Amino acid sequence: MFGRLVEVFDRRFGFREDFKRNVLDHPVPPRINLTYCFGGITFLLYMLLAATGITMLFFYVPSVDHAFVTVEYITFDLPLGNPIRAIHHWSAQLMIVFVSLHMLRVFVYGAYKNPREFNWVTGVFLFGITLAFGFTGYLLPWDQKAYWATKVGVLMPKSLPAVGPFLSQLLMGGDDLGALTLSRFFAIHVAVLPIFTVIFLAGHF
Amino acid sequence: MEQDGKRVTRRKFLETGIGVITGAIAIGLGGTALTSIGAPAITNKREGKWVEAGSASEIADGQFHKVGIVYDAKDGWLEGKVKQLVYVKLNGEEVFALSATCTHLGCNVNFDEQTGNFKCPCHSGVYDATGKNVSGPPPRSLAKLEAKIEDGKLMINTAVKEA
Repeated sequence: MFGRLVEVFDRRFGFREDFKRNVLDHPVPPRINLTYCFGGITFLLYMLLAATGITMLFFYVPSVDHAFVTVEYITFDLPLGNPIRAIHHWSAQLMIVFVSLHMLRVFVYGAYKNPREFNWVTGVFLFGITLAFGFTGYLLPWDQKAYWATKVGVLMPKSLPAVGPFLSQLLMGGDDLGALTLSRFFAIHVAVLPIFTVIFLAGHF
Repeated sequence: MEQDGKRVTRRKFLETGIGVITGAIAIGLGGTALTSIGAPAITNKREGKWVEAGSASEIADGQFHKVGIVYDAKDGWLEGKVKQLVYVKLNGEEVFALSATCTHLGCNVNFDEQTGNFKCPCHSGVYDATGKNVSGPPPRSLAKLEAKIEDGKLMINTAVKEA
C-alpha cells in the first residue's frame, strides 16, 4: 500500500533516483575523516531543535504575563515536556559548538575555495542566523537569567557611533526591555529565522 | 551474507542501516512530540469536587434558595477562582440542585416565587421548577448538579451531573 503510493509519486518526480545519486551514492573524496561529519551533525541538531521547538510552540505563550508560567507548565506538568525542553536546550548549545567546529574545519582544510565559495558565503549567513537563534531564544523563558542576559545584549549596540542608540531601541521595541521585546524576539525566533535558515540551507547543500 | 538466496552487498547493508537509524530517530522524536501534544486531552480535565455552600439549616424550609459557590479551578497553566450561582431545594433527605446559569447565553436566572418558574432577565427565557426549558430562547434545561448534606453542611459538586 505505502510502497505503491511511493511508486506513483516516484514515477512522476523521480525522487528515489535523485536521493540515490545526491545522498547515498554521493561521491566523497578519499581519506575523509570524522571532522567531515560536523556539518551533518549541525543539521541533525537543527532538525531536533525544529521538532522540539514546534512541540513547545503548542504550549508556550509569548507574553510577559504567561511566558514564565507556560515554561514552568512545560517543564513540570506536561508529560514528556521536560525531556523535550532539555533536548531543545542542549541541542541549541551543541549546535553552536558544532557549527563553529564545522566552520573551523572548512577553513583549515581550505574547503571554502572555488568551486565552493558560495557554500562558504551562505555558511557565514547561517552562522549568524544560528547566533541570532541563540540570542532571541535565550529571552523566551522570561526568568531572571533571560532578562538580564538580554539586557546586556540589547545595550551592546548602543555604543556604536551615530546609529547605536536607535539600533538598541529597535531591538527592544522601545526604551525598555519589556512586553514588546519579548514578542518581537519570539516572532524572530520562531518565524523569521527558520525561514531564512531554509533559504540559506538550500544554497548551502 | 546470504539472504533469501540473494547476496546482501555492503552498500545495501549500509543503506538499510541508515534507513533504520533515521527511522528510529524519527519515530522516537515524533512519538515524544505527539505524546506531549496529545497528553492534555487526557490530563487537562475539568474535575468535579465537593464545595461547601453554607449550612443545611438555611434550606430547611423546602423552598428554592440561591447559594453562591467559589472554588479553585485549573486550566493548563492558568489557575483561578470560579464563581457560580446554584439553586438548591431540600426534597426530603435529597438535595435538588440546579445551576443558575442560563443555557442560552449564560446569564444568571432568577426564581420567580409567583409562578414557581426560573426566569432569565436577559432574554426572558423560562424554565420550570425541575429546570426544564419551557419558553424563550434557552436550548436546553438548566444543568443539574450533585448536592448533599454532610455534618449539617450543604455540599455541592462542581461537576455537572446532567446537562
